[in-house]
Amino acid sequence: MSPDDWPARFEAELLRLGQHPARARALADETAQQAVESGTGPDRLFGPAHLYARHLVSELNDVPPGPAGGGPPAPGRVLLRLRDVGKRYRRRVVLSGVDLTVRAGEVAAVVGANGCGKSTLLRICAGLTRPSSGAVERTHRVGLVPQDGGTADWLTAAEHFTLFGAAAGMAPRRARSAGEHLAARLAWRPAAGQPAQELSGGTRQKLNLVLGELGSPDLLLLDEPYQGFDEGTYLDFWRQVAAWRDAGRAVVVVTHLLHDLRDVDQVLDLGSRPGGRVAAVAR
Amino acid sequence: MTAVVVAGLTLREVTRRRAVMVLLIGMPLAFYLTRRDLPGQSTRMLTLGIGWAVATLTLFVVNAQRGVDPRLRLAGASVTALVGGRLLAMTAAGVGLAGGYWGLVAVLQDVRRPWAIGPLMLVSALVGVPFGSLVGALLPRELEGALALLTVVAVQMLANPEGLLAEVMPFWSARELGNYAIDATAVSDLWRALLHAGATWTLATGLTVALFARRLRVARYPEP
Repeated sequence: MSPDDWPARFEAELLRLGQHPARARALADETAQQAVESGTGPDRLFGPAHLYARHLVSELNDVPPGPAGGGPPAPGRVLLRLRDVGKRYRRRVVLSGVDLTVRAGEVAAVVGANGCGKSTLLRICAGLTRPSSGAVERTHRVGLVPQDGGTADWLTAAEHFTLFGAAAGMAPRRARSAGEHLAARLAWRPAAGQPAQELSGGTRQKLNLVLGELGSPDLLLLDEPYQGFDEGTYLDFWRQVAAWRDAGRAVVVVTHLLHDLRDVDQVLDLGSRPGGRVAAVAR
Repeated sequence: MTAVVVAGLTLREVTRRRAVMVLLIGMPLAFYLTRRDLPGQSTRMLTLGIGWAVATLTLFVVNAQRGVDPRLRLAGASVTALVGGRLLAMTAAGVGLAGGYWGLVAVLQDVRRPWAIGPLMLVSALVGVPFGSLVGALLPRELEGALALLTVVAVQMLANPEGLLAEVMPFWSARELGNYAIDATAVSDLWRALLHAGATWTLATGLTVALFARRLRVARYPEP
């Protein structure tokens, strides 16, 4: 896709994110005009169209309420709904009676003791594991960030961007550009020629996060994605979660750190043992 | 498009592993050098070494992606693109290996039909690719897969060439083609070998895709 298509892609993403058509057109025209005035292409000035659209929507949602009203966006359409979901492996019950509804612009945390089925629940949400009972409804655009693994040891970060971008139907150049842009938000500049196996644990998790977000999913499923993060990166991560929420995405994050819970909209407690009763708490 | 990207990146991954490349090239060479005084034996062993090396490499390549493939499926990649891309990459590696050793044998050995050495090596490499991926699909852990490949190749070497056991082994076609190239047997051996190779390739590829389609299936949930 050529840079000439950038305004059209930008406008299409704004529409997809719920902007009024006239407003989306005005923003696209305004952005294209800024690029012309700066004498450079919009892709170089603003980065990938779909990411800049999300960033802009996030910024617009952060505008403080004025006389004409406004304020934080109301939760949007439902992007994930679990009804009475259960999972058993032969006779062993891992999950039972799980209900969860996550809307656009919401962050849900899944907590519970080790082995209580948090990761299994996330895999069910992704569609990689089938529930034994209950019903799942989910948006098609979903990104998964596993707790560990999920990368190819001998490929560089840029090659990962190309690979995951190809899976999502993105041209290699656009995928690399989007990946580098997303990495920069996590204060990471991937080194050329460095394979994933030479990355530190924290940096590899940054790569995992970028790959989860690369296809611009509406729903992000994160399984304790901050393993190995230093304090600054950990704070950057939660700021990023807030930015996703403000941009109208839904986020489900598995965590065991209780102080994370102040930043989420609802908590799903899977209890202390496999198959135990669950409690969802809206915040 | 996705398959081509997967193929290109798979080749890059493999070529970065220098020790693997040395062993991939060196294993058939070791088979060859052991009996280099006997043109027939050395060429047959070399052929089997190529098939074994390519199958083992494919097994490890396929299994190394177990953590990545579910995420790629979730991102939108099809099973055929993922499996097809890797088979394409391994086929390219196998063709390169077979081509190199064809040249070696053509120069150093006195065989009755030197031109047929090319197809002989090629068939061994081409059958080794889907066979290695099928073993990887059936046995997702590397050690089990490597032991299974070792068993198959050992049985292939030791089985009576005229018996049914030898005929159902995946590399029987290379043995038959070897007879045609080295001992100048009838052309019917050539056709039988090509038919066997084609059937083995089709069966192994089909089963590989079917098994990975099952392993990598993603539930299609309705939109809320």
